[in-house]
Amino acid sequence: MTTTSHQRIPKSRLRLWPQLEPLVWIGPAILLIGIVVIWPVIVMIQSSFQSISPDGFVLGNAGSANFRSLFSEPALAGVLLRTAIWVIGVVAITMLISLALAQLFNAKFPGRRIARWALIVPWASSVMMTSLIFRWALNSNNGVVNVILHKLGVLTAYNSVQADWLGRPGTALAWMMVVAVFVSLPFSTYALLSGLQSIPDEVYEAAHIDGAGWWHRFRSITLPLLRPAIVVAALINVINVFNSFPIIWEMTRGGPAYTTSTTTTFMYTLKQSFIGESAALSVINFSIVIVIVLIFLRVTRWKDQVK
Amino acid sequence: MALRHIVGRRTKTIVIAVAAYLIAILFVLPYVEMISVAVRPKSELLSRALFPVNADFSNFLTIWSTGFGSNLGTSLQVAGGATLLVLLVALPAAYYTSRREFRGRAVFLLLVLATQMFQPAAMLVGIQREFLSFNLPSPIISLILINAGFNMAFAVWILNAFFGSIPVELEEAAMVDGCSRLGAVRRITLPLAMPGIVTALIFTFISAWNEFLVALTLTLGSSADQRPLTVTINDYIGQYSIDWGHLFAGSLVATVPIIVLFALIEGRVVSGLTAGAIK
Amino acid sequence: MKSIATRRIVAAAAVLATASLALSACTGTADSAAGPKVTLKLVAADYGTGPTNTSQKYWEDIAAAFHKANPSITVKVQTINWNDFDTQVQTMVQNKQYPDVTEGDYYTTYAKEGLLYPATSVLSNPGNLLSAFKQQGSYNGVQYGLPFTTSSRTLFYNKALFTKAGISDAPKTWADIQTDASKISALGKIGFGLPFGSEEAQAEALLWTMGNDGGYQDGGKYTINSQANIETFQFLNKLVAAGDTEPNPASQNRTDLWQTFAQGQVGMINGSPGLVPIIQKAAVLKDSDWASVQIAGKNGPLEKTLGVCDNVAAFKANGHQAAIKKFLDFTYQDANQLTFDREYDLLPATNSGAKALANDPLFGGFIKGLPNSVQYPSDTTWPQLKTKIQQTIGTAITSNPKPALDQLQTASQAAS
Repeated sequence: MTTTSHQRIPKSRLRLWPQLEPLVWIGPAILLIGIVVIWPVIVMIQSSFQSISPDGFVLGNAGSANFRSLFSEPALAGVLLRTAIWVIGVVAITMLISLALAQLFNAKFPGRRIARWALIVPWASSVMMTSLIFRWALNSNNGVVNVILHKLGVLTAYNSVQADWLGRPGTALAWMMVVAVFVSLPFSTYALLSGLQSIPDEVYEAAHIDGAGWWHRFRSITLPLLRPAIVVAALINVINVFNSFPIIWEMTRGGPAYTTSTTTTFMYTLKQSFIGESAALSVINFSIVIVIVLIFLRVTRWKDQVK
Repeated sequence: MALRHIVGRRTKTIVIAVAAYLIAILFVLPYVEMISVAVRPKSELLSRALFPVNADFSNFLTIWSTGFGSNLGTSLQVAGGATLLVLLVALPAAYYTSRREFRGRAVFLLLVLATQMFQPAAMLVGIQREFLSFNLPSPIISLILINAGFNMAFAVWILNAFFGSIPVELEEAAMVDGCSRLGAVRRITLPLAMPGIVTALIFTFISAWNEFLVALTLTLGSSADQRPLTVTINDYIGQYSIDWGHLFAGSLVATVPIIVLFALIEGRVVSGLTAGAIK
Repeated sequence: MKSIATRRIVAAAAVLATASLALSACTGTADSAAGPKVTLKLVAADYGTGPTNTSQKYWEDIAAAFHKANPSITVKVQTINWNDFDTQVQTMVQNKQYPDVTEGDYYTTYAKEGLLYPATSVLSNPGNLLSAFKQQGSYNGVQYGLPFTTSSRTLFYNKALFTKAGISDAPKTWADIQTDASKISALGKIGFGLPFGSEEAQAEALLWTMGNDGGYQDGGKYTINSQANIETFQFLNKLVAAGDTEPNPASQNRTDLWQTFAQGQVGMINGSPGLVPIIQKAAVLKDSDWASVQIAGKNGPLEKTLGVCDNVAAFKANGHQAAIKKFLDFTYQDANQLTFDREYDLLPATNSGAKALANDPLFGGFIKGLPNSVQYPSDTTWPQLKTKIQQTIGTAITSNPKPALDQLQTASQAAS
């Protein structure tokens, strides 16, 4: 498709329509992406070098001051470490569980369709509302989780430090990871299910005749053939979990102090009064996203897909 | 021997079925709890009984007097507007890229694939400041644009795959029969691609309906009746401590129709989200 | 008591209504009654304890009465709960969806950025505003924040629990608090309710540091990590570690804890008059079951109280100066001020209002203390710093307070 310039010039009039035609069809899409996705990135980078008042007025150029004050935030190290734990932990657990769930829901049993429908409920629901029901369930006075734990004898007293799961950073983070896994499972399971369904039955039948056991079949057939699905699902989960805001916001607002905050919620908290600094953190967040996207494009071999 | 085999198989199926049902119940349980809170009378909100004793559906009635209806309307405008916009923008782009080879096609599809992985959270500050500078008359317009922009990739991708699977020959045959190109697309291609179109529309609608972060950022300054549902429900927190009854009654009203819609497209969502990387 | 007060209010209102009518007649400007229709956007904090007494209702009544008197002006009311008020108003400003009038917290930064009308342009008689809070609402010597309602903090304690625990006297010193709290927590109740969650941590922290002659500022300079303040937080650490407070105070908000006090579950808590209606509404504690006294300090009750003032601010962006002035003149009439303060058990912010209540058995004492009260800082650093304090000072009560206070001190120097 490459044309050298001197070839193009004389023919330009004739070729004007063929050159413009694609724009008519894909132009609106490019425009929308430009306005909604690309422009904000530019504004964000620009803001990260501006001094902006808490009420949103640009006071002037800040140079690298926003980045410097961000890096001198005492909470930043903890936030970064927590983000890593949050993303890696949630995605790893999600993938392991959904691997098992996909196997289970791939098996034939009566009522499978209905059971699969149940699986999509947390996927279709707003994550924010799901987080709120968990917050309710963990209420230290009469949350249903505490009521059950109390009946089991695990919880000794209501309204105690032990019952206040979301008041302590460690247990709060653990519970929020549970919620994050819970809402990530449906997509991952469906992604792996669709991977499993693409493995022809004959492959298993052949192995069956060979007398291979379940574990052996899983290790030598399922896992390798499922690998692309696992990698893609995991990467999409990494993006989702990294950008996840509602779970932490609704359950702890990132507090006490910033001890349950990740980079995304920390960015939001900063945005309230420290807009420039928040933009600086966004630039870092965005760079991380770019790296993940590049990995994604590589493993999905985007060129094959575009074909 | 054969009988034992069949019996063994049957037990296996039963075990699998029971396990799957249990897990299915586990997935629905939090939402059952949502119902159980929504129907608790105020007097039982502090009770430790697992289920309300005197279930009472008044929260589902009184919520409408809090202005919830207009919030529902705003959510409908945002989600409906975004869905329409995605349809208008993604349909031609997906059709053209699946039918034509042109310069920049690969770059365009790469752009789409990349935006699919982007989420507003990572560029929120930019979004807020950019859309403010536009001075739009209502944040609803901003929300429509933003939701459309971030969900368009899914639509382009799934429609591209659908159009790609419909042979060009079908269109050409129709054209031989006297249809114009557009007529052929309208009579042959679009109906065949309808499942893909429906999937794209429902998916966009649901994402826009459930979107929280951008809505929270852009409509916190709007008057209460112009906020979408997610922001309103979030508002029940902190008002006279937490109005749990209305919060979950509202959540259910907002969620149940969405789950039904999602069930319609359940089988096709994955291929759109993974951009077909998992077949 | 209430009926006497009501009569007094009505009488005062009659006098003032005529006075302000006369005033507004003198100062009428371009958009007079015959002028174009104006809609004012009023954003107010919600002082209510539930849907029955939400401030939405109070303001809508005012707006309706005002509209009747001024048919060309409509006031659209939006109330926001206290938890979210600062954030939401700030977001409105960030998003350029400016209100015309806000009532609640006011930030000097709005004045600094030139967003506000000065008091003299939007109120006919700014001299009637309590002068004690003038400084707090001023920027560069010009008053922009109009005190609207005030309150002061006192220590509430549950007499019934005290009796049960065998304590006869109200706590006066920190040592009293320590012994009393441990006796009450031995009953399985919360000894001292300590709301160090992000809602009002800046108030709770100030109340405690004042008890050791500390505070946020000394002579206009920030002294957050002073030795006195560190000692204060060390004391709180002890209180928390001994289990004499609610679990995880750093994530407990005032609204929730006040409710818990009203349920009879808390021995002592720092409160404002706003706690009274919550107690009454919960109907668990009888009037004789609780009392409110001066806040206990390290060696004795505080001599000065923390005076909190909520302000009205008038935004320029929509250019509704004349209409705003009419509306504010109307709302600042004594009758309306006093209805508001009665409804929410708050104190007035005008001289005439204070005078009307000076002999009130419940409020009189509070009012006398106001001119002598300690207030929050009012410089332009404060809005950003306050957010930081609310979010982080909770960590200073569960571990070595020094790092957290040092960080806040650094932030107070860095912000500008």
